[in-house]
Amino acid sequence: MTMHPLHSITRRQLFRTCGVGLGKAALASLLVGGGSRLTAGQGSVGQGTGGSLHHAGGRHHAPRAKRVIYLFMAGAPSQLDLFDYKPKLAELAGQPLPPSVIDGQRYAFIQPDAAVLEPQFPFARHGQSGAQLSDRLPHLAKVVDRLAIVRSVHTDQFNHAPAQLFLNTGSGIPGRPAMGSWLSYGIGNEADDLPTFVVLKSGGSLSGGAAMWNSGFLPSQHQGVPFRSSGDAILNVSPPPSIDARMQRDSLDLIAELNQQRMSVTGDPEIDARIRAYEMAYRMQSRAPELMDFSQETAGTLEMYGAAPGDPAHGFANNCLLARRLAERGVRFIQVYHAGWDHHSNVAGGVKAQCKKTDQASAALIKDLASRGLLDDTLVVWGGEFGRTPMVESSAALGRSEGRDHHPQAFTMWFAGGGIRGGQTLGATDELGFHCVETPVHVHDVQATILHQLGIDHQRLTFTYAGRPFRLTDVHGKVVQALLA
Amino acid sequence: MRPPTHLPLLGFLPFLLLPSLACADDVDFNRDVRPILAAHCYKCHGPDEQTREAGLRLDEIEAATADLGGYAAIVPGDSEASEVVLRVAAEDPDMRMPPGTDDGLTPAEIDTLRRWIDGGAAYAKHWAFVPPQRPDVPAAIEPFTAAAEHPIDRFVQARLAQQTSLQPSPPADRYTLVRRLYLDLTGLPPSPAEADRFADDTRPDAVPRLVDRLLASPAFAEHTARTWLDLARYADTNGYEKDRPRTIWPYRDWVLRALSADMPFDRFSIEQLAGDMLPGATDAQRIATGFHRNTMLNEEGGIDPQEYRYHAVVDRVATTGTVWMGLTVGCAQCHTHKYDPITHTDYFALLALLNNADEPDIVIEDPDVRRRQQQIDAEVEARERELVGQWLPAQDQLPAPRAEFVGPLQYRPAVAQAFRRWLEQQQKQAVDWRPLTPVDLESTSPRLRVLDDASVLASGDVTKRDEYRLRFALNGPISALRLEVLPHESLPAGGPGMAFYEGRRGDFFLSELRVRIDGQDVALHEATHDYGKISVGSGDPAAANVLDGDGSTGWSTSGREGQASQLVVNFEQPIDPGTESAAGEFEIELLFERHFAAALGRFRFSATAAETPVRASSLPVDLVRQLAESNPAYPQYERLQRHFLRSSRSLARHYAPVAALAATRPEPVRTLGFRERPADHPRPTHRHHRGEYLQPREPVSGNIPALFTSTASDAPQNRLQLAQWLVSEENPLVARVMVNRVWRNLFGYGLVRTDGDFGTQSEPPSHPQLLDYLATEWVRHDWSLKWLYRQIVLSATYRQGSDRRSGEDPENRYLARGPRVRLSAEAIRDQFLAASGRLSRSVGGPSVYPPQPASVTALAYGNASWKASTGGDRYRRSLYTFTKRTAPFAAAAVFDAPSRETCIARRQRSNTPLQALTLLNDEMFLELARHLADRHTASSQPLDRIVTQLFRAVLVRPPTADEHAAMLDFCHQQTAHQVPREQVLFLLCRALMNTDEAITKP
Repeated sequence: MTMHPLHSITRRQLFRTCGVGLGKAALASLLVGGGSRLTAGQGSVGQGTGGSLHHAGGRHHAPRAKRVIYLFMAGAPSQLDLFDYKPKLAELAGQPLPPSVIDGQRYAFIQPDAAVLEPQFPFARHGQSGAQLSDRLPHLAKVVDRLAIVRSVHTDQFNHAPAQLFLNTGSGIPGRPAMGSWLSYGIGNEADDLPTFVVLKSGGSLSGGAAMWNSGFLPSQHQGVPFRSSGDAILNVSPPPSIDARMQRDSLDLIAELNQQRMSVTGDPEIDARIRAYEMAYRMQSRAPELMDFSQETAGTLEMYGAAPGDPAHGFANNCLLARRLAERGVRFIQVYHAGWDHHSNVAGGVKAQCKKTDQASAALIKDLASRGLLDDTLVVWGGEFGRTPMVESSAALGRSEGRDHHPQAFTMWFAGGGIRGGQTLGATDELGFHCVETPVHVHDVQATILHQLGIDHQRLTFTYAGRPFRLTDVHGKVVQALLA
Repeated sequence: MRPPTHLPLLGFLPFLLLPSLACADDVDFNRDVRPILAAHCYKCHGPDEQTREAGLRLDEIEAATADLGGYAAIVPGDSEASEVVLRVAAEDPDMRMPPGTDDGLTPAEIDTLRRWIDGGAAYAKHWAFVPPQRPDVPAAIEPFTAAAEHPIDRFVQARLAQQTSLQPSPPADRYTLVRRLYLDLTGLPPSPAEADRFADDTRPDAVPRLVDRLLASPAFAEHTARTWLDLARYADTNGYEKDRPRTIWPYRDWVLRALSADMPFDRFSIEQLAGDMLPGATDAQRIATGFHRNTMLNEEGGIDPQEYRYHAVVDRVATTGTVWMGLTVGCAQCHTHKYDPITHTDYFALLALLNNADEPDIVIEDPDVRRRQQQIDAEVEARERELVGQWLPAQDQLPAPRAEFVGPLQYRPAVAQAFRRWLEQQQKQAVDWRPLTPVDLESTSPRLRVLDDASVLASGDVTKRDEYRLRFALNGPISALRLEVLPHESLPAGGPGMAFYEGRRGDFFLSELRVRIDGQDVALHEATHDYGKISVGSGDPAAANVLDGDGSTGWSTSGREGQASQLVVNFEQPIDPGTESAAGEFEIELLFERHFAAALGRFRFSATAAETPVRASSLPVDLVRQLAESNPAYPQYERLQRHFLRSSRSLARHYAPVAALAATRPEPVRTLGFRERPADHPRPTHRHHRGEYLQPREPVSGNIPALFTSTASDAPQNRLQLAQWLVSEENPLVARVMVNRVWRNLFGYGLVRTDGDFGTQSEPPSHPQLLDYLATEWVRHDWSLKWLYRQIVLSATYRQGSDRRSGEDPENRYLARGPRVRLSAEAIRDQFLAASGRLSRSVGGPSVYPPQPASVTALAYGNASWKASTGGDRYRRSLYTFTKRTAPFAAAAVFDAPSRETCIARRQRSNTPLQALTLLNDEMFLELARHLADRHTASSQPLDRIVTQLFRAVLVRPPTADEHAAMLDFCHQQTAHQVPREQVLFLLCRALMNTDEAITKP
């Protein structure tokens, strides 16, 4: 590995001079710059990464956001029943789309000659910006002037797992690093006692699975850490009940002493790193219970989110609140998945039910971040992996009716905070909601824009693997300037 | 890079002032120049035409020295006249090459270029593309007279002496060496007693003796298989969204057996790539082809199955490149490789060689299974005979029809009456079916073939909407058609369908059935089946669905994989070729349309001219035929009795235990493999523009990359020939790549550090001659991996101590000390299993589930459960842990075990707080610490002895006095806090397992 020797030397000196009672800076450097340490002892994982970033503080330009909260609506919400109002569909309801529109398109479930399904809910304009929302989003309507709604996002993938992976990793095939991992690799963490990249989940199953927070070929400490819904939030963060705090501390001291004795014999700096890792683990163990202790929150806050700690029926609301707590504690990339939007049948009922679970908390998160002064440097992203068809899905074999199929050609996402210009609706689709006709925003553009807000040029954050440099946006992507404040 | 004018000389004045570091003939193109050109120039002036700027390429001498209009990029012998030098040294940023974000060449690099050009600008083929020649072993180095007899040591020491002031380290002490050898060759630690025996063994050949013993143990294969399985991306699930289980552990066991038997690597390779194509291929050779069936399978509803088949083949190409060529051929999927001479067309030519196989199940003949089946069959038959005798009358004792009430059904006379009625019914319904043999077959994708019994067998690719069209000669009147859907060994789960994802394997979904005579639709009605069930969704499997004109309704026999079923349709108007206008030909169309591919795999049509509408029968067709032919007697009366026994509701209660017994009949294991397509059904391969599935362009025929064809005696035409070429001496890479892999397994780093990439972007080998020496010698020793391991571990270089004596050479490039690297995830757990005394030594078989929190797999799609194994399976070697791709075993993933989604040439070795939390708190590790402690809790020995024993159980060597004191202090401290003795020992074991040394090869 040809990582700059300077890094490892510097860090090694730091370890030597700081001793065990390590300062915050060195711990941060362990968590963050561990990447360089790892790659140093690693062979050539990151060889020749030239202008790429290895550690915190190495941004390409001044960042507008310090962290991201990404509300990932897995399953793909129907943009046509939430954000992208198409009265024409009501006119054409029951008729097939003209062949000129649907020719050559591939669908997951329906045949392309399926009939048009009208918007399932009434729409109205809200806020000073006059953004159009369906009546399923009453809470979001109240913060709509803080949002930039993009109705013209499109993707290359028309199945869930590949499309979710595509948004997260830039590729439909598992194995590439996730966006959060790229950020961890690029600019590290703010926190010194929590992971850089945290994954929260509510609702049903996630099609993309663990590959969505995998670090791929990036060093594995850049992996997302999924918080669990039962037991400790972080796997193994607490010792079992049979080991009390004193035993744990004594044990750690013994381990440190044995490691130091070995260090003095072998001179292997990996042992130093191991000693730091154990101290860091100890800090995480101490920090985790405080993080998860919602009793510090006022009743008003809980009510605003609709949160009910410990009750999985309020999973998304609880996670939004937890996301804010993670943001406050300096976690770089917080991904809040909510699965349950795959409405192949009864799209009206499905959208209604999911909005009930998510609308209030999503809006509360914006309000809460704003009132705490965190929205300015926290980028909030909301969206699914693709859109849903203007045509109806029905299938006797599957027992489906009045649903919508997968639609990669156009869908809606919204962005807020973190240097985004709120109060705007960007892009447009044709009168059928089928294709983007104005300001198309590709998934790679979304990725480029998110990185940009954090001070990263998506073309320059690269990692050489298997003979060539890779980046999140492959060879594509442009920053959506119109979104920026 | 056509410049408007030549650059001012000033541009490179600064470096002219630099002292020359060496004379020109010291510059080696491969070592010194190519890396500079590859890093800074090839991206725009390399092999890729698409990105080539100004029509200039610098990777070939002819192009680089070509006249560009009065000047040339490179003028051999004259750097000052060479445009390249002028441009890379230009001060004007508009003129300087390379443009953009590249920081440009350093003065030293420019100087190298200049000296190379002044020395004649000799190009050389990239070292790795030139076949290795056995180099002479260097003479022993004077200062290191410490008996450098071993060729490896001669090479290493020669380089040490030439390039450093380092001295080799003294040999590792006996305890370090024995632990290192055990961990490296078996992945398991020695017991303290074994370590003592070795430490006390003063025989001069103690080391070779130990090495030979370890190489002969089954643990050697279990340990070394791990790196191979990383390359093979072996896993027990399909990956992607649903990530369902698959059965392919027989492939893993094949690898174990092959490594254990030291199968020569050339044969090992050929069998895995093309075992199915070897003459008289054995089961084992076909199982070996599971190597490339380890690709992922997307089972998400609604996908385009051919798209994901394409992605799987793409993965096979990339994996083949990495494993046998050490080249990143995957780079050429989208465009010609930017650095290595592999064109976009080369890529698809290689893909074509791997693209001509079907992907069948391989049914493994197992005498044990066969014996058990026969036992159960015999027992079922005996018990059926018994029940028949008990309940059903003989043929000559059939009761006469009686109108009056004969009592409840459980009475024998009532059963006999029911049976008689059933018989009559069957006979009445039995009509004379004549099988129809198609004269012409057409299909949207699968290949259809007529078998001897008039059934049609499909093979090849399927899509979400497939249509079959069969034409028949009309040779008699027809009033009804019967469609039998039939099992076949070649089909998924034995058929009758071709569904291989999303729906049940072997499923089909018949949406529509149409009959035409002379292009005129024949009206059909009264459809019946003997069984119907639809998988995925709540649909009704009614037979009439196939006549309703709605593609989303249909018939399926889900749940009856490997069995026959039937569907019968009647003609509204019978046709008679004698009287009708029909010209003697008619056509049947079948449509299969679902959100997953669900075409039929094997089926047969029969026709009857029965005068009344016919219904489907659940009796076997031959029995029906005999019933129809031998009216009024009952042929095969015994079979009829049994059939009634099995299906009659009146006897269900009595038959239930027999049915339960029959349900225990074991099925043979089916694993996944390749079967090359028949010559008349090749799968065409196209070049795909930008590598995209949806952009196929011109057809491409199979070949190896042009880079190698000049030396290949015969260019490979198929997969077997490709495999043979890959392990021939004509492939300059394979032996080097594999030797490098083994070297890395033992030293932690390869001689070439970019293990997966030996191309022009790779780091040059630290010891090129040593690499070539081992590569050539290995082939000469019949590609024996055990020879190679033995050769390396017996070197003094390997046996050095690993302590760092100075800050020099932190990465140990010069090998002046032994390896000290963290263990793999598997070895970490396995050695604790061994230390705890719980390790189960059983070898092979289905994968197992060591304990882990349910929350790990709960994150995966469908909230998958993880039911921890009990008994010995809880403590099997980690090689056997069930590998679920979307929810990897947590304690392994945290120690960098890959998810096995793609080929991994080199694992990372990280050092993180989550590892600390895992070793400290994961219940699985705590359980092992407890087991180890428990073995000593009742010991009557004094604590200071026990402490030593525990230390040695984990770390093998005896503790130092300081370590001993630290442990005793800890124990006394805990005891002072009233911690019970067993808990104290447990805490001590846990602490020992958490030391850096415990998870590090010494």
